Amino acid sequence: MILFQGQLYEDRELPRLRGELEVRCLETIASRTIAPEQVISACGVLVERVRRGDYDQVLRPFLADFHISPGQFEAALRLLEPGSLRRKLALELGPGPEDTPLPCPGRAPIQRRRFPLGVLLHIAAGNVDGLPAYSVVEGLLAGNINILKLPSMDRGASLLLLRELAAIEPALKDFVYVFDVPSSDLASLTEFARIAGGVVVWGGDEAVRAARTLAGPDTRVIPWVHKLSFAYVSGEASDGDLAALAKHICETRQLLCSSCQGIFLDTEDMGAVEAFGERFFQILQAENARHAPADMGLRAKASLQLWTEALEAVETGRRVLRGGGAGVTIAPDSRLELSALAGNCWVKPLPRRRIVHVLSPEKGRLQTAGLLCPPEERPALSALLARAGVVRVTWAGDMSRTLPGEAHDGLYPLQLYSRIVEFG
Amino acid sequence: MKHADALFRWKDPYDLPGTGALFAAAMAENAAFQRRNCRDYDHICAIAGLERGAKLGPGDLHRLPPIPTLYFKRHALRSMPENRLLIRAVSSGTGGVKSRVGFDAGSLRRGLDMSLTMARRHGLLSVKPCHYFILGYQPRRENDTAFSKTGFGFTFFAPALSRTYALVWQDGGYQLDLKAMEKRLIRAAKGTVPIRTIGFPSYTYLLLRGMEERGIHLRMPAGSLITMGGGWKQFEGQKVEKSELYRLARSVLGIGEAQCVEFFGAVEHPILYTTCPRHHFHIPVYSRVLIRDPDTLEPVPEGTPGLVDLLTPMTASMPLLSVMTDDLGVLHPAGTCGCGIEGPWLEILGRVGVRDIVTCAAGAAEYLKGVAP
Repeated sequence: MILFQGQLYEDRELPRLRGELEVRCLETIASRTIAPEQVISACGVLVERVRRGDYDQVLRPFLADFHISPGQFEAALRLLEPGSLRRKLALELGPGPEDTPLPCPGRAPIQRRRFPLGVLLHIAAGNVDGLPAYSVVEGLLAGNINILKLPSMDRGASLLLLRELAAIEPALKDFVYVFDVPSSDLASLTEFARIAGGVVVWGGDEAVRAARTLAGPDTRVIPWVHKLSFAYVSGEASDGDLAALAKHICETRQLLCSSCQGIFLDTEDMGAVEAFGERFFQILQAENARHAPADMGLRAKASLQLWTEALEAVETGRRVLRGGGAGVTIAPDSRLELSALAGNCWVKPLPRRRIVHVLSPEKGRLQTAGLLCPPEERPALSALLARAGVVRVTWAGDMSRTLPGEAHDGLYPLQLYSRIVEFG
Repeated sequence: MKHADALFRWKDPYDLPGTGALFAAAMAENAAFQRRNCRDYDHICAIAGLERGAKLGPGDLHRLPPIPTLYFKRHALRSMPENRLLIRAVSSGTGGVKSRVGFDAGSLRRGLDMSLTMARRHGLLSVKPCHYFILGYQPRRENDTAFSKTGFGFTFFAPALSRTYALVWQDGGYQLDLKAMEKRLIRAAKGTVPIRTIGFPSYTYLLLRGMEERGIHLRMPAGSLITMGGGWKQFEGQKVEKSELYRLARSVLGIGEAQCVEFFGAVEHPILYTTCPRHHFHIPVYSRVLIRDPDTLEPVPEGTPGLVDLLTPMTASMPLLSVMTDDLGVLHPAGTCGCGIEGPWLEILGRVGVRDIVTCAAGAAEYLKGVAP
């Protein structure tokens, strides 16, 4: 299905609508703007309707497909509440550039105002943590026209939410376009990218590389790539803290950018790493038993990977502890890596003096560090992790918390989706 | 490998009950050979708790350690010196990592016996020449992916009058050229010589869909076949049903559903699985299939989905006895197909991993860029 100026169309209408898209966008830019408050109040009505269960029939399968838990979904909904959006706007875009005119010798001070980039193409590829519709809302808040390419498994949730949004606030109709084209439809994607002033791409390296190819050299590409997160434990961690970490691992199935992939220990002693690994395995196994099993494909992939690691143990020095669908790999190296997912993490030594050396080369990949350490050491260790490239330091159980107003991977998206124009 | 030789010369390729004991004997014979000649394999058996000299009867085959294809991608296991390997092949390399396998003369001879028996059984052998349309790579000395080899090798089941390739080597890279193929198909439809296509289902689909969009409806000469291999994984995300492909074959080329044959196999498990008229992959005598639990890797009963573990005693040069693929599948019990072949059949449900993560499709998409307007 296609959403085009508030109307739904069959996919076969794609060639005609694609042909009209640029003219429609140009007409909109020439004649209309959208105020953030229009977006915010429409989102408020939408959130109410979602909570009331109006869209359950479409939303429930969507959440299952993307492994989004009810808690995560509620957190995502909170992001769309008017209070959250206003706070986000104030944080990311205010105080406005109009408040800081630039003195110009011999003339009146130069005035500055923020404008949208114009047209944003959102490529919501793969397993997005959150709703592709939220990406569009961010684009709207910055005043842009938004073209959304749906991820291939989105069976209509984003389309429905955005159509509703445009129905609640008809002024949004000219600012939202949704196309359900496959990634292989390069003709359409190239055309969308040509019209756009910015391409917002969610996903893995392949998706980003493809977006850079689609976008012209003068088009801004804003990549939200997959990130890796980990826990860092210094000193004696309590069973309670480790149980909270295990709960986070099982709840997210380690699929989110903020999910803990493994645990670094502030030690060089492999004996301590072994002992910690065995202890955490018991805690993880017990916690995993309280959760519904992960998707079969995910579990099978983890089993294959860990069985391969067990066969390679003689070369790598790794030890795989496995049981009840959970697993801990005790490894002597300090490399940051993706875990086997689905309730399987690694435990590795990383003495604090080597944090920057080991993690800095991965700085483009780092997101959250869940830190467990004595309180007096927290400031110094947090700063060290931040200097290494981490953009969020949390308590170990809170690694995937979603709070309104948080930066996105260390950046403010609304700033990236707009530009500053100077007058004078 | 006298037991394996006898197994691969078995007359009826679907006589599973008649070959149970022979299959187990061939596996035991091969396993003993691998343990003597491949130290890594011996070590893997030890990790799996399989003691040397353990009895391996028809009910014990699950005890042979299933080696994941991922392991073959990272390790070149050999049970013979390199100079005895006549053919080397690499897998098509999902994610850029490829398995390197090599086959000795004895293994290749068994493979040839199997191919001829299977081709004869499925009506693929013909003395009548035909035009081949290969929806895959044009072979080059430098390209040793299994597909380019099997695609080319397949063109000997019936004498080839011509071979047209979809992926043609030009200017230092492979280019997808479906237009040339379309022109030649139109020409072939006017003649009397049958055609055979072989290739990835996704390319076959692209070709046929493009032709239908341009309003081309042909009637290929009698005896023409559409054959496909390489899996359906590129289709994930395109939401194409097999039935749509069969419809296109009839509509565009005038080739009926029963003349659409699909193959399944893997570099690490070079057994030729061929679909029956109901499009099911029955297990031939040369292999057995175990489905394993996604958590414990223990075998599960027929009808239960899990990881696909493929067993065969064909290869001497490498320990390819029990290979665990990246596929999820289900083994349907004997007698449930209705095509006339009594034995169990394997249904591939998809790849392991997070759903919606593109694998080979990314590779195919790279070549598609060459035809984007």
